[in-house]
Amino acid sequence: MTKFIFDLDGTITKYETLPIIARHFNVEEKINDLTKATVAGQVPFIESFIRRVYILGKLPASEINELLSEVETYDKVVDFIRQHKKNCSIATGNLDCWIEKLSNKIDCECFCSSGQMENDNVIKLTKILKKEDIVRKYKDEGHRVVFIGDGNNDVEAMRMADVAIASGLTHSPAPGVISVANYLVLNEVALCRQLNQLL
Amino acid sequence: MQTAKSVVITCAGIGSRLGLGTTKALIDINGKTLIHWQLDLFKDVDDIRIVVGFEANLVVEEVRKYRPDAIFVYNHDYFNTKTGTSYYLGARDGNEFALEYDGDLLVHPDDIKMLLAKEGEWVAYADKRSEDAVYLSLNEKGEVTGFSRQNGDYEWTGPCCLRRDRIKYSSSNVFNVLEPYIPLPGVKIRACDIDTYGDYQRAIEFIKGWEK
Repeated sequence: MTKFIFDLDGTITKYETLPIIARHFNVEEKINDLTKATVAGQVPFIESFIRRVYILGKLPASEINELLSEVETYDKVVDFIRQHKKNCSIATGNLDCWIEKLSNKIDCECFCSSGQMENDNVIKLTKILKKEDIVRKYKDEGHRVVFIGDGNNDVEAMRMADVAIASGLTHSPAPGVISVANYLVLNEVALCRQLNQLL
Repeated sequence: MQTAKSVVITCAGIGSRLGLGTTKALIDINGKTLIHWQLDLFKDVDDIRIVVGFEANLVVEEVRKYRPDAIFVYNHDYFNTKTGTSYYLGARDGNEFALEYDGDLLVHPDDIKMLLAKEGEWVAYADKRSEDAVYLSLNEKGEVTGFSRQNGDYEWTGPCCLRRDRIKYSSSNVFNVLEPYIPLPGVKIRACDIDTYGDYQRAIEFIKGWEK
């Protein structure tokens, strides 16, 4: 079977989710500084993620969950996922407690990071998703794996996948993504056409 | 018009023989980039696949102005490979038939319409025109029987069309991908290949002829 693994932020959603949370809770400055330093390569991705969770974990998780459930998604991409539920999954570094409602809405298997909760706050990170582990799992099961992503944390998964699609739907994919991609698509029509051709 | 064919435009190369200091896709011909002329020829085709390599970002930015729904295919090893590789990469996850169109080629719009309507596999050729050409020979049925750098009846210009599953990997040229399957049906077209500066000047005259 062909398995399609989708990054969430900017690939299925029309906007990155972390800036939405930061804006809603007025912690934009802190998060933006960290994001800039991460994009510039001054802070490694894992370290950046841990620090972001440290900042955002103190915010009420249920409110974040609610907020992200309303994030606009690419309709055609979500339709493809719903029509081919058995073939599709989401791989996101986001925490389970923040994106549970959004992933339920999209309605397919979702692999994500997780944290320990107390009083509606994340008090400890317990797992950071390595997306390449999901690719390896499906490949070991004998599937052909297609990975669709745009960010630095997608690169290793895309390198390992049988087919790597760089998504430029929301912004230009990271240079590392381009360096391992077989394809680049810039809108939903192109992405869905290629996905259907790969079924 | 909906078509079940994929059109693979191969734009990965360096274009070093032309000497205009840019990838061929971006050279200006009568106020339009070469890739813009080509995209106009295929404006009714759904599955446009642009194989990119050298100066990929510039080609992507130009193409997205006219065809944001194009699928870009990376030939990361463009320096060590040729158009045969780009054809394979561009076609392998596309539709059942893949039309190969060289990024340095201009074909008369009426001939493109005729080629898009043509079923099955075929090879297109033109009267000899370019400075540094590959030639092809025909048999009495009008089928293409061979390619040569020395001599032949016509100039091999492309495009060509093969079933996707017959397009095998090659590090060489598109005509090397076709060779195992000859004889193949031949189609004569009006085309202009742009490899050298002389070809470039001829292309400008060629396009003026379309308006007559």
